[in-house]
Amino acid sequence: MSYLELAGLQKRYGNSVAVDDVSLLVEQGEAVALLGPSGCGKTTTLRMLAGLIEPNHGTMTLDGSEITRLPAHKRNMGYVFQSYALFPHLSVGRNIAFGLEERGVSRAEIDKRVQEGLALVRLSGLEQRRPKELSGGQQQRVALARALVIQPSVLLLDESLSNLDAKLRDAMRHEIRSIQRTLGITTLFVTHDQVEALTMCDRIAVMHRGRIAQIGNAEDIYDRPATRFVAEFVGRANVLPLARDAQGRATVWEQPVPVEPTQNADLFVRPQRMRIVPVSEPAGGDTARLTGRVLRSVFVGDHVEVLVEGAGGQLTVEMPSGSTAPTEGTEVAVVWPRAESRVFAREAT
Amino acid sequence: MTASRRLPLLLIPATLLLLVVYVWPSLGLFRNAFNEVGPTGAMVEAWSLATARATFHDSFTFELTLNSLWLSAVSTLIALCLAYPVSLFLFRTDSRFRGLLAVVAILPMLVSGVVRVFGWLAILGDRGLVNTTLQSLGLITTPLKLVFNWTGVTIGLAESIMPYMILALLAGFGRLDRTLEEAARSLGASPFRTFRRVTLPLSLPAIALAAGLGFVLSMSAYITPKLLGGGRVFVLATEIFEQATTNTNWPVAAVLAIYTLILLLVLLVVSNLVARRLQR
Amino acid sequence: MTGAGRVLSSFAALVYAMILSPIVVVVMLSFSADNFIVFPPSGYSLRWFQQLVGNGPLLAALWLSVQVAAVVTLLSLAVGVPAALALAKGRFAGKAALTSFFLAPLLLPTLITGLALLLFFSPLKLTATLPGLVLGHMTVTVPFVIRMMTTALANLPDDIEAAAATLGATPWRVVRRVTLPLATPGLIACACLSFLLSFDETVISLFIAGPRASTLPVEMVRYVEGRTDPLIAALSVVLIVATLAVVLVVERLVGVARAVGK
Repeated sequence: MSYLELAGLQKRYGNSVAVDDVSLLVEQGEAVALLGPSGCGKTTTLRMLAGLIEPNHGTMTLDGSEITRLPAHKRNMGYVFQSYALFPHLSVGRNIAFGLEERGVSRAEIDKRVQEGLALVRLSGLEQRRPKELSGGQQQRVALARALVIQPSVLLLDESLSNLDAKLRDAMRHEIRSIQRTLGITTLFVTHDQVEALTMCDRIAVMHRGRIAQIGNAEDIYDRPATRFVAEFVGRANVLPLARDAQGRATVWEQPVPVEPTQNADLFVRPQRMRIVPVSEPAGGDTARLTGRVLRSVFVGDHVEVLVEGAGGQLTVEMPSGSTAPTEGTEVAVVWPRAESRVFAREAT
Repeated sequence: MTASRRLPLLLIPATLLLLVVYVWPSLGLFRNAFNEVGPTGAMVEAWSLATARATFHDSFTFELTLNSLWLSAVSTLIALCLAYPVSLFLFRTDSRFRGLLAVVAILPMLVSGVVRVFGWLAILGDRGLVNTTLQSLGLITTPLKLVFNWTGVTIGLAESIMPYMILALLAGFGRLDRTLEEAARSLGASPFRTFRRVTLPLSLPAIALAAGLGFVLSMSAYITPKLLGGGRVFVLATEIFEQATTNTNWPVAAVLAIYTLILLLVLLVVSNLVARRLQR
Repeated sequence: MTGAGRVLSSFAALVYAMILSPIVVVVMLSFSADNFIVFPPSGYSLRWFQQLVGNGPLLAALWLSVQVAAVVTLLSLAVGVPAALALAKGRFAGKAALTSFFLAPLLLPTLITGLALLLFFSPLKLTATLPGLVLGHMTVTVPFVIRMMTTALANLPDDIEAAAATLGATPWRVVRRVTLPLATPGLIACACLSFLLSFDETVISLFIAGPRASTLPVEMVRYVEGRTDPLIAALSVVLIVATLAVVLVVERLVGVARAVGK
C-alpha cells in the first residue's frame, strides 16, 4: 500500500468537470509534480487533497486511513499557496507560529521551532517584520516555513514559484528541492512549468482535461510520451504528417521512414535527438533519415536552431552551439535514431 | 464541511429581527388600508375598500399626486443638471484631492437633513443671504419670497438628492473607458463634439438610473417639504404624515402610503427599463 | 486628455459652492448676535452657544439620541455581522433570495417604514420608548451593516482563510484569528456609520417619538417649526463637527464613497 493514494477523484461545478478521474499513488518521501496547462484540474486536485474542496466522487487515503471527508484543519497538510496567503496582520514569526499555536504546542517549543523554520529558509532575524515589508522571494520562503514547521504529512505546493522572477525562481527551485530531500517530506507540486516539474520532482503526472495523461519519471515523460498531448506539452517536438507510398511504407515528405504505416497520424521527433549530416553520408541501419534544404539557422545562446524545409513541411533541428551550422540553401540530410520516433494519431476535430 | 453547513445559522437573528420589525409591520400597514373610519373618526376593523374608494374619490388626492410628481420632476431635473457636471469633473480630474473632493460632494447626505434645511432658511429667508445681497445691490426693494413655498422646497430637495445622484452617476461612469474619449479626440473631434458624440451617449444609462433614483427620493422626502414648505406645500409625503399623526387616521394614511409605494415602484421599473434599453 | 478642463472645473466649483453653502451659512449663523435668522448677521457673539448649554429639552434629546445610537450600533453589529459572514462565506440554497430580503428595507422609503412601525408599535405601547426607537432605527441600520460587511468580508482574499484552515485552525478559529482581524477597519467604519445613521434618523423617529422620548432631530424639527432664531445653528455646528469627525475616520479606514455607495 502506498503512503498517499488518490482513487477516482472527481469534481464537477454544475455541468463543467474540473477533475474527471484522477488516481495517483505516492510513496513516502517522494516528490511528485502535477504538470499541465491552466484549467487541466491540477490545482483542484491539490485543493481536494488539502480538504479545501470536497470531491464529488473518489477517495483519498493517507498512510492507510481514509481522509476523503476530513475537514482541512484536521488533515495536517502543509499548503503553500500561489499567492503565499501570508496573514497581513501578523508578523513573520507569528505567521510561522500560526499552525503550531492551533495545535496547542507550548510557547517554548513554538519559539524553538519558529527559529528552526526561519533558519531552514534562511530568514533568521526577520521574525518581527510584517509580510508586506518582505520581497516576493522572502514572502515565498515564509510561506514555505509556515507550511513546514507543522511537520505536515504531505507538503503541497501550488504554482509556488510562478510569481517570482526568472533568476529567483531558479534559486528557489534548488532550495525547495534540497529542503524536500533533507526532510524526506512527501511532496505534491502543482505547476504548468515543465522545467520546474522535470528538475524538482521524482515523478511527474501530466494532467490533461481533468485526467492524468501519463505518470513517470522525467525521462519517461520526455523520451517516451504516452499520448500526443504529453508529446506536445512537454518539451518541443517536430510534428511530421505521415503518409503511405505505393509500396505501403510510411512516408514523410514523400520519403520512407522506418515506422509502422498508420492512417491519420503524425510522427513526433524531438529536435535535440536529430542531427544534420551531409547528403552524401549514407543512412545507417538504426537511423531514420530525411533530406531537405536549410531554410535558416538561428543562434539562441545555448544551441543553434536549424530550420529545414522538405517537400511538404518544415522541421527544426537543435544543434549544440559551437558546432558549425550549415549555410542557408544547402541540401542536407537529417538523421535520428529509429527509437526516437513516436507516432500519434491525429485528434478528430 | 460541517462548518459551512452550520454557517447559515448565523442568519437566524437578523432574519427574526427583520421579520418582527419589518415584514410584520409592513403586512400590518397593508392590513390597515382595508379598515374603515367610523363617523366619530375612530377606526373600525373591516376588510373593505371603502377607505380606498373614498380616498381616490377625493380630488385632493389627485392634487397631491400632481404636486408630488411635479415637485419631484423639477427637483430631479435641477439636481441632474448640477450633478452631471460634478460627476464628470470627479471622473476626469487628475487632482491629488480627487478623493477629498468626492467626499465633499457626498457630504450633505451624511449631515443631518434638519441642519441643511436650517441652512436654506438662512440663505433663502426674507432676511437671508440672497435677499440681503440683492437688496444691498439695489436690485430689489421688497424681499423675494423664496422659502415657505414651492421654490424653497424645490431648491432644498434638489440639493438633498444631489449626493445620491452623484454617486449613481459616478458608478455609471465607471464603465466609461477614458481611452474612448481620447480616441475621439485623436480622430479630430473637438472637446465639445467628443462630449456630444461619445461621453453623453455612453453615460445615458447612468443618467436614467440617477434620475430614477432622484425622483424616487424626492417623492418620498418628508423633512424638506415640511420645513421649507412652512405648511403651505402639500405633497403625498406630508399628507401621509399628517393623516397618521395629527389626524390619527391610519386607514387613510395606509392607503396613501401603499398608493405612493406603487407610484415609486412604477417609476423605478420605468427608469430601469429605460437604462437597460439605453445600454444596448 | 489631461484633467477635467477649465470650463468643467469652474462649473464644478460653482456646484460645490452650492452644496456647501447651507453648511457654511449655518456655521456663520451660529455665531450671530441677532435675535432672528438674519444673514449676514449684524454682529457676532457666542450667546447662542450659551443658550444651547442652558436648553434642557434639547440637551435631553441629545442625550437620548446618543443612547439610542449607541445601543442601535451595538445591536446592529451583533445581529448584522454574523449574517454578513454567512452571506459572504457560505454556499447554500436561497442565498440570493435572502440577500435581497436583507437589503430590501434599504429601498423602502423611511416614510413608509415609519408609518408601518407607528401602526405596529402603538397597540404594543412601544411608541416613545427607548426599545421602540432602537427597534425602529434597526430597520435601517441592520440592512446597512449587512450590506457593508458582506461586501467587506467577500472582498477578503480567499486563500488567506484557506491557509489558516490548512494550518489546523477550525472554521470558527479562522473567523476569530483571520477573518475578523482583517475586517476590523471595515467593522469600525461600519460602526461609525451605523451610529451616524441612527443619530441622524429623523422620519422614523418623528413617527414613533412622543413628547416623553424625543430624539435630537425630532426636537430640532419641532423647534424650527415653531421659532426662527439661531439656536439651532449653534446646535448644528456641534453636529457638523461630530459628523466630520466620523466621516474622517471612515475615510481613513475604508473610503466614504465606497462605504455609502453600493
